Amino acid sequence: MSRPGASERVRRLLSLVPWVASHPAGVPVDEVCERFQIPRRVLLADLDTLMMVGLPPYTPDTFVDAWVEDDRVVITPQWFDRPLRLTPEQALALVASGTSLLAVPGADPDGPLARGLAKLAAAIDVDPTALDVDLGRADPALLELLLTARRQHRAVELDYYAYGRDERSHRVVEPWQVYADQGQWYLQAHCRHAGGERLFRVDRIHDAVLLPDRFEPPAGEATLGVFHPDADDPTVTLELGPGARWVIEQYPCDAVEELGGGRVRATLRVTAPAWLERLLVRLGPQARVVDGAPGLAGLGRTAAERILARYRAG
Amino acid sequence: MDRLERLLTLLMILLETPRPLSAEELRERIGGYRTIETPTAFHRAFERDKDSLREMGIPLRVEPVPGVDPPRDGYRVLPDEYYLRDPGLEPDELAALHLAASTVRLEGVQGVEALWKLGGVVPSDDEPLAGGRAALPGDPRLPALFDAVTAHRVVTFTYRGRPRRLEPYRLRIDRGHWYLEAAAEGTDDLRSFRVDRIEGDVATGGPGAFTPPTDLPDRSGQPWELGEGPAVTARVVVDADQAPWAQQHLGDAASVEQRPDGSIVASLEVVDRDAFRSFVLTFLDHAEVLDPPELRRDVVDWLEQVP
Repeated sequence: MSRPGASERVRRLLSLVPWVASHPAGVPVDEVCERFQIPRRVLLADLDTLMMVGLPPYTPDTFVDAWVEDDRVVITPQWFDRPLRLTPEQALALVASGTSLLAVPGADPDGPLARGLAKLAAAIDVDPTALDVDLGRADPALLELLLTARRQHRAVELDYYAYGRDERSHRVVEPWQVYADQGQWYLQAHCRHAGGERLFRVDRIHDAVLLPDRFEPPAGEATLGVFHPDADDPTVTLELGPGARWVIEQYPCDAVEELGGGRVRATLRVTAPAWLERLLVRLGPQARVVDGAPGLAGLGRTAAERILARYRAG
Repeated sequence: MDRLERLLTLLMILLETPRPLSAEELRERIGGYRTIETPTAFHRAFERDKDSLREMGIPLRVEPVPGVDPPRDGYRVLPDEYYLRDPGLEPDELAALHLAASTVRLEGVQGVEALWKLGGVVPSDDEPLAGGRAALPGDPRLPALFDAVTAHRVVTFTYRGRPRRLEPYRLRIDRGHWYLEAAAEGTDDLRSFRVDRIEGDVATGGPGAFTPPTDLPDRSGQPWELGEGPAVTARVVVDADQAPWAQQHLGDAASVEQRPDGSIVASLEVVDRDAFRSFVLTFLDHAEVLDPPELRRDVVDWLEQVP
């Protein structure tokens, strides 16, 4: 185990001293260790150091009183009796996580989180409405149903729109995890139809029905799924104009080459033909397919013709 | 004297002193500095300690030492700027905040230290997301912007190649991106700025520089609503199969009319035509712009240019 650096030890002590000091009878050593995630050995060493800290002229009354008695820590500080204020970064992280959880369907608007957040915001002079954070758009009733299914280990029948393949399907899934990432809600589940683990975007679930049958949840913590193109997926190489550079930020690329003047050549994995069709019609004259598996090069043009046919008929 | 003791003593003296103390005065008062032999080594150690205090978020002030000539830098920490006001959290409230911080992470920020300051980490039985987890995107400029929003500081930064000077009112997350809602200083011209598109650093002015409006509109921040210029209302039909997720995606941004065959007609306020076209085309041939004719023509012209 690595030894924490001096700054980290200072930071921890400055937080721990006021809390221990607020208990005049002291606090069991183990409880301090648990609350402040500090190994016993380090805590005892740091308390020894704390007792050495005093002010000029270094008479006994200028030292911090800290000792361990009957396995309890007692501190009566003249200094550091209140914690250091939160940095803007810490305040932001705490208020953002609290606010976003309160926006999740089913959150209790008068519960401990709401009360704690309001007190915290007042103490640090933050107007909670200065942040408008929600984890992602999702139908509250649907999200509630998925969370319930996960909690009760009940299967769910989904009417799902597969964006990549541009088709709708019905399937029964066993919800393992429901989570939000980068503004989207996801359902990670075992799909009985596909016989394997699948990731579903909650906003593409048309309808869900909670089924009575239960399932055995996987042992251990599920790792959160993220969009990973398959190594077997065919590749396509595009030349992108300056207005289409967002593609290289948005999608994982196998290769990126700068061509000068803001133009770039990028090689991407094609997870499904409809995905590439969409990309190419959106990019229009800003993108050109320069290399790729047979059949991919003409996708943009064919899709454009299909859409144009609709406009010409209309 | 080890470094922990030296840092704690330094901080205590800086908090206690009624006037700014020079580096030399601090050296006389602190055993850990006195034992350093050369002035060069002392200054190196002192610089390192100052950096450590600043990294911890300790508001170290640098002010001239009064009554000395030539002028000299002095240092102190004002207790009012140092101490956190006790929020008076009950154990269940602290536990709930802890759970929130461990469930929803802001990328790039260590949340645990904030919890130490509030009284440490306490276990909780509650399960807000049923054990789910969530991540909010991070950005190195967020803390400064958040501080500016809460302390009413004017911010300056470059956006789309132009320098901006703004009164920031609110930070908002929408579809995985942070937006700053702000008005040009002294105006009520409210706009949204995508934080990850701010070019370079953010500079902030003094606190209390403006009074934010009390009635900020609820902005959906759809990409086609952003930008400068007049808005036109566009009507788009989306086929039945795609209608539900189109509607979920649009949220409250659009007024939507249901048709008997299950399709929908959404009315959208369009400022940014490129973003609008891009949105409509994600539906491939399952959606169509009905009017106005100019936006319909724009889509057709674009499609004819697809190579």
